[in-house]
Amino acid sequence: MAIELVSGNEACARGAIAAGCNFFGGYPISPSSEIAETLAKLLPERQGIFIQMEDEMASVGSVLGASLGGAKAMTATSGPGFTLMQEHLGYATLAEIPCVVVDVMRVGPSTGVPTAPSQGDVMQARWGSHGDREVAVLAPASVKEIYDMTVNAFNIAERLRTPVVLMFDEVLAHMREGVELFQPSVEELWSRPRPVDHPSSTFQPYSPNSEGVALMPNFGDGYHFHVTGLMHNEKGFPTTHPETIRQLMARLKRKMEPLPLWLPAEHYRLKDAEVAVVAYGITARVAKEAVDRLRDQGILAGVYRPRILWPVGRSDLIETLGKFQSIVVAEMNQGQWVEVVERYLPNSVRVLLQSKLGGEPMTTEEILDGCREFVKKGVRAL
Amino acid sequence: MWKKEIRLAGSGGQGLGFAAMVLADAAIKAGLHVSTLQSYGPEARGGASRSDVTLSDEDIANPWFSKPSVLLALNEKAWIKYGPQLGEEDWVLVDSDWVNIPAGRTIFRLPLERIAKTELREKLTTNMVAVGALGALVGHIPLSALMEAARFRAPKGFGGINQDAVKRGWELMEDLRGGVKDANARGA
Repeated sequence: MAIELVSGNEACARGAIAAGCNFFGGYPISPSSEIAETLAKLLPERQGIFIQMEDEMASVGSVLGASLGGAKAMTATSGPGFTLMQEHLGYATLAEIPCVVVDVMRVGPSTGVPTAPSQGDVMQARWGSHGDREVAVLAPASVKEIYDMTVNAFNIAERLRTPVVLMFDEVLAHMREGVELFQPSVEELWSRPRPVDHPSSTFQPYSPNSEGVALMPNFGDGYHFHVTGLMHNEKGFPTTHPETIRQLMARLKRKMEPLPLWLPAEHYRLKDAEVAVVAYGITARVAKEAVDRLRDQGILAGVYRPRILWPVGRSDLIETLGKFQSIVVAEMNQGQWVEVVERYLPNSVRVLLQSKLGGEPMTTEEILDGCREFVKKGVRAL
Repeated sequence: MWKKEIRLAGSGGQGLGFAAMVLADAAIKAGLHVSTLQSYGPEARGGASRSDVTLSDEDIANPWFSKPSVLLALNEKAWIKYGPQLGEEDWVLVDSDWVNIPAGRTIFRLPLERIAKTELREKLTTNMVAVGALGALVGHIPLSALMEAARFRAPKGFGGINQDAVKRGWELMEDLRGGVKDANARGA
């Protein structure tokens, strides 16, 4: 492999291929369209299927159907399309259908600015679908990481039988970087757990293994199984039995617990830091530069960058950031992940939101402004 | 650390996105770290267009810059928009037929489009003449890497003329810089 110039969207499409994706159903939307465009070329060359559906609801519907048939399936969209996909995402959670949904964030609400970046969909990714569900949301910060995390997204989706959302923004999507992309080995690619026994009438399609995940046959393998958005028992049939529902909900939440350990947060120059900046995605890149500049001026600063936004890696967050008196959370929205930081850290930590709106990325100077507020007041780490 | 933030500015359709990719490809060949960003919208159909390229001999933490250290302005509008951001040590290359500013220590004037039209007989190669000139200005990337990238990225039938355009741009910048050095020497 050699270093090559690749855009974020192209890296996402190539990561999908590297992960073994063989189905894409989607509807083009700025700024995600190049993912569909690239896969429209790559998939048919590899006996995969690319289909342009009539809208985003149908797109994710086709993805779920393909996945039940045994495909590694994905779709890609942006905010307005992501909104339309929410109901099916909830269905995929409860019916435990593996799939990957990419959301390239643009300025919203509504049509907003289709060609400009934001980080406004963070809470939608968490709470966009009704009911009370656990979600998996990944936030890469470079072209290389988009490639790697697309592979991670498929791995998580398959192993845990869950929808996984990969979210980045317009700048990362269209930015080109010199990168070396490695094909993961067979051992690095995870598959959904499959039944090995001969199909029989005793097969229970929602009976979990030790990881809390049930064995998943393909439609057409000969197993009888029922897939529903209703609460169901281990046979897959509808139930209103409270204890069965409680156990199912607990299992769906519990199986997601290892995620923050699989993709731990990045700690950048945090060890001796007195001020911490919390940032993810493209904003974390800017934050690192700001921190380097602060250190040049003798101010000890560091960056905490979650790679996975949901579920929150609570213990690492508390352990790492709980000792600080002052934390700046930098986001291209009106304050979304800052609520996580405020929720989990003790009251002794003062949290300042550095928000950026308007469709331009955060600048180094803006993050410096946030940090200087604290430094001016003489705030230091405990 | 060596780092240059290059902004290519002009009109949609002038191939600035393409020029950025050629510069970046060549920089990768030369062992540099690169990132590119370009204005995103209906620029191919006209209007103001811009492409940014960051080159460095170290990892590029932040690919977004608010102010370039090297500016290419293919028209007056681009110069008016981005010229005032430049500092005293920052370089600018302008198309001298379209941008009306006097040459200076850091201001380089070349009739880029005219050269493409009259010498290469293809106006579309203006961007490649500019890439050659920028390469000679910025340094760290050999001419051979730029020419190879210009051929590799070219649509069918344009490989040769792209290479010629890059080479011509490089030569003109070398002459110009030589002249500037002479002028400075005389001035001193």
